[in-house]
Amino acid sequence: MRPRVAAAAGGAIALVVALGACSKNTGEGTTVDTNRTQTGVIATDPKDSQGPAAEVAGASKGGTFTIIRETPISHLDPQRTYSFAGLMASPLFARYLTTWKDDGKGGLVLVGDLAETPGNDVNKDCKVWEFKIKDGVKFEDGSPITSKEIAYGIARSFDPDLTGGPTYIQEWLADTPQFDTKWDFKKNKGSLPPGLTTPDDKTLRFEFAKPRCDLPFAVSLPTTAPLPPAKDTGVNLDNKPFSSGPYKIADNQVGVKLTLDRNPNWDAKTDPVRHQYPDQFVWSFGPTPDAASNRVIADNGADQSALAFNTVPASLVAKVAGDAALKSRTILSPTPSANQLVINNQRVKDLKIRQALNYAIDREGLIKAMGGPTVAAPLTTLMPPSTIGFKAYDAYPAGANGNVDKAKELLAGQTPELVLGVSDGATEQLQGTQLKANLERAGFKITLRNIPDDAKLDEIKKKDNPWDLYIGNWAADWPSGASILPVLYDGRTIKPEGNSNQSYFNDPAVNTEMDRILALSPAEQGPEWAKLDERMMKEYAPVVPLFVDVAYNVHGSKAGGVFISSVFGYPAFVNAYVKQ
Amino acid sequence: MSLSPVEGVALAEIESGGGAETPESRDVVGRSPGRLAWIRLRRDRTAMVSGAMLLLFLLLALAAPLVELLYGIGPKEQFQSLLDGFGMPLGYAGGVSGEHWFGLEPGLGRDIFIRLIYGLRTSLFIAFAAAVITATIGVVLGTLAGYLGGWLDAVINWITDLTLAMPFLVIALALTPTLVLRFYGEREAVSPAFGVAVLIGVFAVFGWTSTARLVRGQVIALREREFVEAARASGAGLGHMLFRQLLPNIWAPILVSFSLAVPQFITSEAALSFIGVGLSDETPSFGRMIYRSLDYLQTDPAYVFFPGIAIFALVFAFNLFGDALRDALDPKSSR
Amino acid sequence: MTRFLVKRLFSATLTLFAVSVLTFLMFFALPRDPVTGMCPKNCNPERLERVRDELGLNDPLVTQYAGYMKGIVTGRDLGSVQGGRCDAPCLGWSYVTNEAVSDTIARVLPVTLSIVIPAAVLWLLLGVGLGMISALRRGTWLDRLAIGFSLTGASLQLYFVGAVLLLVFVYNLRILPVPSYTSIFDNPLKWASGLVLAWFSLAFLFSAIYARLSRAQMLETLSEDFVRTARAKGLAKPKVYGRHALRAAITPVVTIAGLDVGGALGGTVITETTFGIQGLGRTAVDAVRAGDLPTIMATVLIAAVFVVLANVLVDLLYAAIDPRVRLH
Repeated sequence: MRPRVAAAAGGAIALVVALGACSKNTGEGTTVDTNRTQTGVIATDPKDSQGPAAEVAGASKGGTFTIIRETPISHLDPQRTYSFAGLMASPLFARYLTTWKDDGKGGLVLVGDLAETPGNDVNKDCKVWEFKIKDGVKFEDGSPITSKEIAYGIARSFDPDLTGGPTYIQEWLADTPQFDTKWDFKKNKGSLPPGLTTPDDKTLRFEFAKPRCDLPFAVSLPTTAPLPPAKDTGVNLDNKPFSSGPYKIADNQVGVKLTLDRNPNWDAKTDPVRHQYPDQFVWSFGPTPDAASNRVIADNGADQSALAFNTVPASLVAKVAGDAALKSRTILSPTPSANQLVINNQRVKDLKIRQALNYAIDREGLIKAMGGPTVAAPLTTLMPPSTIGFKAYDAYPAGANGNVDKAKELLAGQTPELVLGVSDGATEQLQGTQLKANLERAGFKITLRNIPDDAKLDEIKKKDNPWDLYIGNWAADWPSGASILPVLYDGRTIKPEGNSNQSYFNDPAVNTEMDRILALSPAEQGPEWAKLDERMMKEYAPVVPLFVDVAYNVHGSKAGGVFISSVFGYPAFVNAYVKQ
Repeated sequence: MSLSPVEGVALAEIESGGGAETPESRDVVGRSPGRLAWIRLRRDRTAMVSGAMLLLFLLLALAAPLVELLYGIGPKEQFQSLLDGFGMPLGYAGGVSGEHWFGLEPGLGRDIFIRLIYGLRTSLFIAFAAAVITATIGVVLGTLAGYLGGWLDAVINWITDLTLAMPFLVIALALTPTLVLRFYGEREAVSPAFGVAVLIGVFAVFGWTSTARLVRGQVIALREREFVEAARASGAGLGHMLFRQLLPNIWAPILVSFSLAVPQFITSEAALSFIGVGLSDETPSFGRMIYRSLDYLQTDPAYVFFPGIAIFALVFAFNLFGDALRDALDPKSSR
Repeated sequence: MTRFLVKRLFSATLTLFAVSVLTFLMFFALPRDPVTGMCPKNCNPERLERVRDELGLNDPLVTQYAGYMKGIVTGRDLGSVQGGRCDAPCLGWSYVTNEAVSDTIARVLPVTLSIVIPAAVLWLLLGVGLGMISALRRGTWLDRLAIGFSLTGASLQLYFVGAVLLLVFVYNLRILPVPSYTSIFDNPLKWASGLVLAWFSLAFLFSAIYARLSRAQMLETLSEDFVRTARAKGLAKPKVYGRHALRAAITPVVTIAGLDVGGALGGTVITETTFGIQGLGRTAVDAVRAGDLPTIMATVLIAAVFVVLANVLVDLLYAAIDPRVRLH
């Protein structure tokens, strides 16, 4: 009797599983156009920094805009905000000294946000900078924002209790990475860090020991969000920041849901980039990327005006890309997040091997394994195409699938045995498996060494880590070569642990060149970084550039105005609206 | 968050079915109880069918390298040229063809059939090894606790309670990666055997409690019976008491519990994969395959179907067989 | 009875103590350094070391453990970096989610309770019901159907069933809303509709086993003398089956149910992950991944309390249902 039951049960399951239609995949229609050009400038005309921002075509007021994401935003406190989700959420309730006017297609203009202009280099030596604060800018309780509150915000970022945020300004003011011992925030609450002054309510002044030509960029990070000292709740500010932007925190169920309501004291006339279209923004946390995409694709009820913040997972790409009706509900854009096969230059000292790796790499195969052109786009340069002044080149032209012969020629019969450290997370396991087969075609012997996912970053940041290769990623904080090349390849910054220079590349000539470029004005730096980029790849091949991440997000039929930030590569909400 | 809800229940079923009554007491025809059970099992069509299925699975697993030889494709070979630009298999039903019987994995384009065969091998090995080890620990601790009683019984009981109170998934999640990072050569590939051994170890630590409880209960029931008292009175040693007098009388429930434990370990391996613990991508296993395939439910149903049906068939066959075995060993609850 | 209770409670306390010590030790073996998670880029080791100092992570293990335990009993001062004064029972401050752990628990515990309790009622009703029917209608098609159902359930995995149910009912047919948690006090209907898929998948998998168990129990009880006697005395069938047989058959079911529910209350990791609901189990898993010691401690301890309590309760219930059992 029971075999019959078994057969019936098996049949039922087979039926359920085979739900999908059985059609032939011929591989047509799988090309994705991700071309765009990056232009980045600092506004010279003060008018660019004035509000209100131009109306978004087709936008209307009202409604609730929902953003679905798997993990909660790690910090809401602006002085602690550094994660991408945080950087994208923050402009809704925090304003900074400067900000990016972004057309979503790569066209960037750095403008004054709370400041009237993106900064005044007083002596033209990048050592003294002044910012004039706009009139009519207010906090959520209606009190005016002056240079004092902005200075206080910067001061509290020195507090070792409030970790997590960027540290550029602090380190530049204190002129040391040990900024929190140089100036103790808790003991000096009434005063300001060295070099930071407020000559009057409308003026904020930075004085640095060394030229800091990137300051206008650095103050576009949330570190410069204002806060009245009386409203500082210390670590608790993380759950309920005090708003200076178009929305304010109405309710925060930590880890589950964050609700933002309109801030009536925000004045559109003062703001060059933000809008206030929806009545409400809701961040909803919990669903996996798969579940979030499925929900938004289903386009049901409140999800009609929702966006899945996580990109469409590789497993669903075929469904989304293959559905013409969904096309208008997706946004697709390459991001500035660049991924390399990092070569540990301390261990792999033979330039020929590093060059052979560059010839051997099969970028197309790797990208296919990850889910194709909606997940990643090939990269042959150190800096991503979104960098100001970027110039495309391929130092080791080998076609989309690599040139095995050329690599073998460089190796001249030897079989380098290299250890590739990969995290045990799903994505890197896939990449590692593909890279191993990929490189072994060209005569390498690759050993995969798994590293626990949670520990991988810490481990490869240690100077004496034991691996030859690992997959590295860098997303710059602003689209200037200065926040990429010196951070990743200045050998003088190498320390025992916590290194951003994970290739441990150190070359005196390159270091000197970087110093030279850094002292130029931001406008002149762009093409110089691009030149250095090409020179480093040709002469040293410190890494194998692999791909830039591609953002591919799906939103509901009533969600509008979302674009991929040209600075951070994640969905931006300053123009978001709900179609009525 | 116990290892599996099934475990506790299996224990209760066995206890209630077997009870204190030993099979021996009904032995009137002069056949041994084992022989009787075997005859009953032979007559049970379900047992025979599921048994044959299990045998087939077992043979396939053991002969995996041979299958690979005949099939001509290895578990690590990648056929990316048979995928479209998004990494989805070309052709019908996830790339099913004469070459690739069950199609290809999206992304890397590995052959699903041969990976299933090797996955079967891994999963069965882990499950059997874990079941043998947990049964051994359980029998030893259960017998000692039940027979000797007193403070030893109290201590073992307490350890059992403690093990049950430790959340299995959380601890597996915490410990597995740690072991790999701290106790393995930094530049050596972590061998699949190590990953397998860690999993078996984790199962061993958490999986023995039900057997121990079951055996303890059975031994306590037997302890007071005449034949045991007689043996004790005649001065039999501890070893003799345990191995000659007690164990032979409780092997039936132990066997049933063993046969039901194996499928639980198979599904537990899959559950661990689901929260990101377990074997690396290089080692094919049922758990990892099904976990990875689930996301493709809508875009490549064939990829979900083959591993899904395979793990279901295996676990189902084990459950059917375990059920039949219990019936055979305990005539009272049989149909 | 009282002596039994005292003994059990003592042993339970000892168990919880051991669980807390083991969890604490386990944490310090984790590969993840919780502090490095606090600065994603440009970290300098000296600064991290100061943060570690301030969090007390550089103190000897015993000191840290004692501090944590003291917090639970009397409350303690955690310093400005951890939200200041923390009243008893102080479960600590999570430096990952930046809130008092007791707040986290207060939020996620009702979620897990809302998943497990209705699911348990459902699986018991379904399981025992099926088992009864199949035992009373032994050998018929009903019996076969029930057994087939139960074995199928026992052979499936929750994440598999869950994924298929989600696809069918939520994404394709759109009969049900996306699983989510709403407090039952806010909106009972939304509460139920958001969790119903989780209840049914759990119930399907669990009830299967209860059906098999109660069928076997019922069959055995029906063949016992006291049932035959009752029938011979002329008692009506429903009365015999309903009162006498069921009562005897249900004892082991209660045991297992108690332990199952106790275990599940500690967190249903797979269910919560499959349906994207943040309960105790998923919180625990997230905490392990992030190296969030106070949250790990709290979730593990709460899970352990449920298991231990369930054990004690089951013993008591056992005595209440089955008069043959004497507690000593």
